[in-house]
Amino acid sequence: MTHQVLGVVGSYPLLVALWLLPLAGAVICWALGPQLRTLAGWLASGLVGASFILAVLCWHDGTQSAAGTVGANQPLFSWMTGFDFGLLLDPLSLLWTFIITGVGFLIVFYSIGYMRGDPAFARFFAYMSFFVFAMLTLVLSDNFVGLLVGWGLVGLASYFLIGFWFDRPAAVAAARKAFVINVVGDVGVMFAIFVIIANVHSSGFGDTFAAAGTLGPGVILTICIALFIGAAAKSAQVPLHTWLPDAMEGPTPVSALIHAATMVTAGVYLIARCAPLWNASHEAQLVVGTIGGLTALLGAILGTAQWDIKRILAYSTMSQIGYMIMGVGTGAYEAGIAQFFTHAFFKAQLFLGAGLVIHALSDEQDIRRMGGLWKKMPFAFWVMLTGVLSISGVPGFSGFFSKDEVIYGALQHGHPWLDGIGIVTAGITAYYMFRLLFVTFLGEYRGEAPVHVGGPGAWIMNVPVAILVVPSVAIGGALLFGGDASPWAHFFAPLFAAQAHLAAAQTPAPAISENFTSVIVVIVVAIGFIIAWQRYATAAARRDAVQRLRREAETMPAVLTNLFYFDAAIDAIFVRPAQAWGLFFGRVFDPRVIDGAVGEIVLIARGLGTLVRSFQTGLLRAYALILVFGAACFIAYYAVAGAAH
Amino acid sequence: MIAFWLLAVILIASAVWTISANKPVYSVVALLLNFATLAVLYVTLSAEFLAVIQIIVYSGAILVLFVFVIALLGSGVAPFPTGPNRLPKIWLPAGVFTLAAFGFLIYAVSNVKMAAAAATGAVGSAGVFGSVADFGKALFTVDLLPFEVTALVLMVAVIGVITLGGEQMSDAEAQQSKVRADRAVREAILREGKG
Amino acid sequence: MSVPIGDYVTLASVMFFIGVIGVIVRRNPLIMLMSVELMFNAANLLLIAYARLWLQNVGHIFAFIVITVAAAEAAIGLAIVVTTFRPEKYVDVDDIAALHG
Repeated sequence: MTHQVLGVVGSYPLLVALWLLPLAGAVICWALGPQLRTLAGWLASGLVGASFILAVLCWHDGTQSAAGTVGANQPLFSWMTGFDFGLLLDPLSLLWTFIITGVGFLIVFYSIGYMRGDPAFARFFAYMSFFVFAMLTLVLSDNFVGLLVGWGLVGLASYFLIGFWFDRPAAVAAARKAFVINVVGDVGVMFAIFVIIANVHSSGFGDTFAAAGTLGPGVILTICIALFIGAAAKSAQVPLHTWLPDAMEGPTPVSALIHAATMVTAGVYLIARCAPLWNASHEAQLVVGTIGGLTALLGAILGTAQWDIKRILAYSTMSQIGYMIMGVGTGAYEAGIAQFFTHAFFKAQLFLGAGLVIHALSDEQDIRRMGGLWKKMPFAFWVMLTGVLSISGVPGFSGFFSKDEVIYGALQHGHPWLDGIGIVTAGITAYYMFRLLFVTFLGEYRGEAPVHVGGPGAWIMNVPVAILVVPSVAIGGALLFGGDASPWAHFFAPLFAAQAHLAAAQTPAPAISENFTSVIVVIVVAIGFIIAWQRYATAAARRDAVQRLRREAETMPAVLTNLFYFDAAIDAIFVRPAQAWGLFFGRVFDPRVIDGAVGEIVLIARGLGTLVRSFQTGLLRAYALILVFGAACFIAYYAVAGAAH
Repeated sequence: MIAFWLLAVILIASAVWTISANKPVYSVVALLLNFATLAVLYVTLSAEFLAVIQIIVYSGAILVLFVFVIALLGSGVAPFPTGPNRLPKIWLPAGVFTLAAFGFLIYAVSNVKMAAAAATGAVGSAGVFGSVADFGKALFTVDLLPFEVTALVLMVAVIGVITLGGEQMSDAEAQQSKVRADRAVREAILREGKG
Repeated sequence: MSVPIGDYVTLASVMFFIGVIGVIVRRNPLIMLMSVELMFNAANLLLIAYARLWLQNVGHIFAFIVITVAAAEAAIGLAIVVTTFRPEKYVDVDDIAALHG
C-alpha cells in the first residue's frame, strides 16, 4: 500500500524549529520561573516572535507545489505501519501559523504589561507558550492522530489559562466547564479517527483524502458529523457554546489569544482541512452550515443582552465563528477562512482594547459602570472604534470584505436561507457592537473606581494594540478585494479551486450579484447602527443614561437573561441524570451490592480463618496430636484400601 | 526365644513406667532400664558395636544430661505443679481414633507373613556381620559420607545449644542471679525446718 | 534368627506407640523428651532386627546415625527446656516473705 502524503516531503529544519520554540519557552518559564521574574515575559514573547519570523521564512516551502500537491512535509517518526507522523505546512496551516505566532506574539507581549505585578507572572507565560505550542501541533500535524494530540493539548492549555486565577471559584468552575465540554468534542474527534482508521487503515490526511471518494456515503457522513462534534465543542457552536462566555473569567489576554483569535477557530481549521471529506457529503455540509448560521444568529442576539464587556465580546466571537463555520460548512472555504483571518485581528484588537479599559478601571467589567471614557482614554476609544467598525462590516474595513464573502458564499453554494441569516446577523452585530462602544465611551462616567491611565510600561500594552489596528482596518481590502482575482483566492487556489469550480458547475448561478448582496448588508448594518445610536448615543439618551440602562436591564426578556435556557437544558438532559446515576451507584448500588458482596467474602474468609486458627493453639501437645492423627488417618486409609482388595 | 520374650516384657514395662512416672527422676530410671534391656536385645541380634554404643551414648551421656537438667530445674524434688489442661476438647475422640489406628497397625504387622527369607551366613565372630571390625570398615569406606554428616549434625547441635544457653549475663545480672539462688536455698531450708 | 521378624515388628510398634502416648498425654517437657527417645529406640530396634534378617550392616550404620541425631535432639531439646524454665532474673525484696507470721 503506497502512502499518499500531503505536501512535498523533505527536510525543513526551520519548520521544526518554529514548532518547538514555544515549547522551549514554556519549559524554561515553567522550570526557571521564580528566577526569571519579569524576564519570563520577554523570553516567552521573544520565542513566539522568533517563531513568527521562522514562519515568514518558511513561506516559500509552504507554498511550493509539485506533483499535484502543495506545501512542505517534514516526516518526524513512524509509529507503526501506516501511522507516520510529520509536520505539514501548506497554505492553510501557513495562514494559521501566521495568526498563532504573529497575533500570539503581540498578545503575549501585551501580557507583559497586563500581568505586571501578578504573583504568578512566570506561570502565566509558561501556559501561554505552552498554548502556542499546542496550537501549532494542531495545525501543523499531517495526520489525524497528531491533530488530536494538539486538539487535546490546546484544551488543556485553555483549562490552565481560564483557571489561571484559581483562587476565584468562578474561574475554576468556568475552567472545568470549558474542559468538560471540550472533552465531549475530543471524544467526537476520536470517534471520527476510529472510523477513519477502520476504513482507511491509516490516519494520515493524504491517505484519508485520497480514499474519500471510495468510502460509502454513510461512512463519510459519520466521520463528518463526529468531526463536527469536536469542531462545535472547540469553536463554541450551538449547543456546545456555553463554555465560551464563562471562559472570560481568565485574564483578558487569554480571552484575546485563545477565546477569540486562535483556539476557538480550530473547528474552522478542522473543517477546512477536511474539505475533501465534506465535499463528499452534501448532508454533512448542510448540518454544519445550518448550525453555523444558527450560532451566528443566537450569538448576536445574546450579545445584545449582556452587560459585561468581555461577555459581549465573547458572544460576538461565538457569532463570528458561526459565520466562519457557515462559510466552510457550505463549501465557501476561502470565505470562511478569510473571516477567520480578519476576525483574528479585529477581535484580538477589541479584546486588548477592552483589556486596556478593564486594566485602567481596576478589573471593572460592567459597562453600566463605565461611560464617558473617550475623554479619559482616547487611545482605547479609537482602538475600540476601529475594531467595532471592522467587525460590524462597515465598507472599506477588513470585516466588511470577509463577511461579505461568507454571506455571498452561502448564496453561491445554494443556501439562500443561510444568506438571509447572515444578513440579519450583520445588522444585529452592528447594533450590539455600537451599543458596547456608546455605553462604554459616551456620556458621563458612572463608575466609582478611579481611572488609572498611563503609568510606566503602558507602552507595552499600547504598542501591540496599535499594531493590530493596521491589519484589522486594511488587510481585508488588501487581500480580498477583487473576488476570484484577489491575492487571497490566488493563495488558496491550489487547495480549493478545483472544488470551487465543481460546486459552481453543480449549483446554478445565484440570481443576484455579489455587489447587490453587499448593498443589502450595508443597509442592514446602517439600520443596526441607527438603532444603537437612537438608544444610547443621542443627547437625551446620554443625559439620563443611568435610568435608561437600569430600565433596560429590568425589562429585558427572561429568555435573553437566561441565555435561551441552554445551560438549564444541558443541566436537565445530561447533568441531572448523570448525577442521579451517580447517587444511585454511590448510595444504593455500591453499599448494598458491591460492599455487600465484599462483606460476604470477608465473612467467608474470616470463618475459614477462625477454623484454621483453632488448630493454631500454640500447644505443643496439640500439634503432636494433630501430627499423629494425620498418621493415623494414613493408616486408616490403607487399612480400608487393603480391605477393599 | 525365651530370652526375647523376657526382654520384651521388661522393655514394655519399663516404657510404660517411663511415661507414667510422677517425677522425671523415676522416668530416667525406667528409661535406663529400658535402654539397658535394648542393649541386651541388640547383642542377641549380633549388633555388638551398637549394643556398646547404646550403653555408652544413651545411658552414659543422654540420660546423664537429663539428670543434670532435672537437678538444675529442681523438678526432681517435687512434681511440676499442674495447671489446667489446655488441650482442645477434640483430643479425646482424636486420641481414641489414633489409638484404634495404631492398635490395628500392631495387630496387622504381628500377623503379617514376612515374605523375605532370612539370609544365612556366619554371624558374630570377628570380621563377619555385626562385629566391630565389620561395622568400622563400613563406616570408614562405603558409608564415609553419612559418618561425616553425623559429625556435622553434632556440630550444629553444639552451636545451637551454645546459642540457646550461652546468653551473656552482665555482672549485675549474674550477681542478682546468685543472690536469688542463695535465697531459694535458704527458703527451702526454712520451709523444711517449719514442716 | 530363631525369633520371627513379626515379633520384633510388634515389639517395636508397641514401644513406639507408648512413646507417642507419652508425648501427647504428659505435660512435663522432660518426660515428653524421654518419650521421644523411646520412639527413636523403637525405630532403632526395627533397623537392627531387619539388618540381622538380611545380614546387611547398612541397618547398623543407619541406627548409628539415628543415635547421633537423638543425642543432638536431646541436647537441643534440653537446652530449650532450660532456657524456657530458667529462674526469672528480677529480684525484689518483697518476694522474700518466708518469715511472715
